[in-house]
Amino acid sequence: MRHDLAISATGLIKKFGDRRVVDGVDLAVPKGMIYGVLGPNGAGKTTTLRMLLGIIEPDGGSRTLLGHDRPREASDQVGYLPEERGLYPAMKARDAIAFMGALRGLDLKTGRKRAAALLEANGLGHAVDSKIRKLSKGMAQLVQLLGSVVHEPELLVLDEPFSGLDPVNQERLEALIVAQRDRGATILFSTHVMAHAERLCDRLAIISGGKRRFEGTVAEARGMLPMRAHYVPHHDGAGVRELLPPDAEHVGDAWRFTIGDDGAEDVIRKLIDAGFGISGLSIERPGLHDAFVRIVGKAALEAEQ
Amino acid sequence: MSTPPISNFRRMVRQTLTIARRDFVATVFTPTFLIFLFTPVIMLSFGAIGGFGASSMASNPADKASIVAIVAPAQQAAMRATDARLRKLFSPGDQPPRLVLEAPGDNPAGQANIAFSAQGSDATAALYGDLTQPTVLYGGHGRGDAAYLAELAEGTLRAKSSGTTPLSRASFSSVVRSKPSVSGQRASAYFTVFGIFFLTLLLAGQAVGTMAEERNNKVVEVLAAAVPLEAVFFGKLIGMFGSAILFIAFWGTLVSQIHAILPGNIASALGDIGPAVGTPLFVLLFFAYFTMSYLLLGGVFLGVGAQATTPRELQMLSLPITVMQVAIFGTTTFAAAKPDSWIAIAVEVFPFSSPYAMAAYAANSPLLWPHVLALAWQLLWVAIVIGVGARAFRRGVLQSGSGKFSLKGLFGGRPSSRPPATS
Repeated sequence: MRHDLAISATGLIKKFGDRRVVDGVDLAVPKGMIYGVLGPNGAGKTTTLRMLLGIIEPDGGSRTLLGHDRPREASDQVGYLPEERGLYPAMKARDAIAFMGALRGLDLKTGRKRAAALLEANGLGHAVDSKIRKLSKGMAQLVQLLGSVVHEPELLVLDEPFSGLDPVNQERLEALIVAQRDRGATILFSTHVMAHAERLCDRLAIISGGKRRFEGTVAEARGMLPMRAHYVPHHDGAGVRELLPPDAEHVGDAWRFTIGDDGAEDVIRKLIDAGFGISGLSIERPGLHDAFVRIVGKAALEAEQ
Repeated sequence: MSTPPISNFRRMVRQTLTIARRDFVATVFTPTFLIFLFTPVIMLSFGAIGGFGASSMASNPADKASIVAIVAPAQQAAMRATDARLRKLFSPGDQPPRLVLEAPGDNPAGQANIAFSAQGSDATAALYGDLTQPTVLYGGHGRGDAAYLAELAEGTLRAKSSGTTPLSRASFSSVVRSKPSVSGQRASAYFTVFGIFFLTLLLAGQAVGTMAEERNNKVVEVLAAAVPLEAVFFGKLIGMFGSAILFIAFWGTLVSQIHAILPGNIASALGDIGPAVGTPLFVLLFFAYFTMSYLLLGGVFLGVGAQATTPRELQMLSLPITVMQVAIFGTTTFAAAKPDSWIAIAVEVFPFSSPYAMAAYAANSPLLWPHVLALAWQLLWVAIVIGVGARAFRRGVLQSGSGKFSLKGLFGGRPSSRPPATS
């Protein structure tokens, strides 16, 4: 058991009927990091998170949560925002947050005080005594998120936290996640929106078809794909094609090609020496989105085969 | 940021009470609870209206019903006096119809027959002929009234021979029994079974829809992540039980004052009814067995209701439970009247009838140790019912395949095993 890990999972398996929804997933989430679980819809992200939290039991494999073999024993140190948001509509915002804290061991009096402060700090000071049914969907979602952090957990698990939020609230949520990490908490969140993962994640895992396809940093994911050059010659001609790498494609008045391990300098020099000149040149670094599409696409291809 | 480690049992108790508190507040502090609280008033009002209608329908024919005696005018005063004397033996509800005396005409037999078809009259029996050998005619349900008329003839002749002066003058005084009679114990057993049955039927059924709230609001995922489902189920039961206790406390206080307004003879008759274990202990046992009955049946309602996805399914699923409860009530009532029979032992052991049967046992027998065993047995079954309900929910609704049921898990299991802190 590694004590520097907030979550450790080995060979997690979950079957629904004959279908393996999660098929041998390994995860190692270091403490104090923001860790993303990425994957397309139906990849098995939510099922994996539910198994890690002990909501459902795995059919195979093992997991520890904050060092506990039985996740339930760590429940007081965990905060959780499920994908399907749920609050009691008749409860006041302050009471809803305090109730969620109370489930995790925080006394109600302290919970109410912290709830009021959290609501105030997140622009919902006016809604402290509003019933949940009176709040907008986004506001209610924020209330539930605050309910998952009110007891100041060591581990915060967020399942698709950005879905349903407008851009302003998305930004607010990103700030809140970073603040939790800065407080010392570990954050594990699932998403299929790459932009959030790219901005937030210290490390990430990509899951597809129930299997883990990648684990590493954002830079490592992006590094899986070569950079591409976008070249516009000053004088185009038949000889350009011969000087470019074999995968070069002519798109409009530009050429696109992959930059190999040796870099693009040699190719560019040859083009200049041959008199084609440079009217435009840009180097495209692949984003997480590209890496994701490549990894998931490859996995889908493997699955088909 | 971290909290000191606590045992699983303590954590579970705390979580259970958190859920119970939420449910209690959500149930009680609403306008609908007032409607619930005053449901008996609505029931009694409908009952009173129905009872008034039924009694007025029944009393109209009773007012017109009569027994007819066709006797010579010289004998009519003696017969009327005999009638007045004999009527005192009947309680007000069991009085024979009013006596109509007629002088015999030319054809007393025809006269007696006409009495059954006369306009505005509803004769149930008619007597004619010489009183030493009278003939008594009677209608469909008039056999008893005919016998009464024959007794009137006998009494009239006896009064003639021995005079109307009473030969014996008794003095009456009421005695309060120091111990309830055996029939009083049986009556108390019956009322106990009925009381627990009625209260459980009225109150435990509410539990059937409580998980539906969590499912509809999707709060169940939040609860399931933070709290063992057994604690969720038990907490919800306790919350609902709290509102049931409030209901009972309110109506119990009112009902307990009824004896103050009862007529003295009824209060004295009620003094005959009493439990074998004594009233104070019986009250405690009644409460304990009502609690067990509520938790057992409420647990079944909750577990079954948690599986339902629509209100229609809720109704369909709760009906068989209610039917089963009525069957148990019938069997237990029968067993309460025969406390030494094998049926009585069977219903005392069967977990779902055990609370009713053991409460009846407390009314019939002064032995106390069986109650300790029975309460422990019933508590075990409460745990099993909640455990099975939670497991079914985990498997069916949360789709977790390995919801293993264990009493150890239910009551907390081993203490928390936090890893050593790292720095």
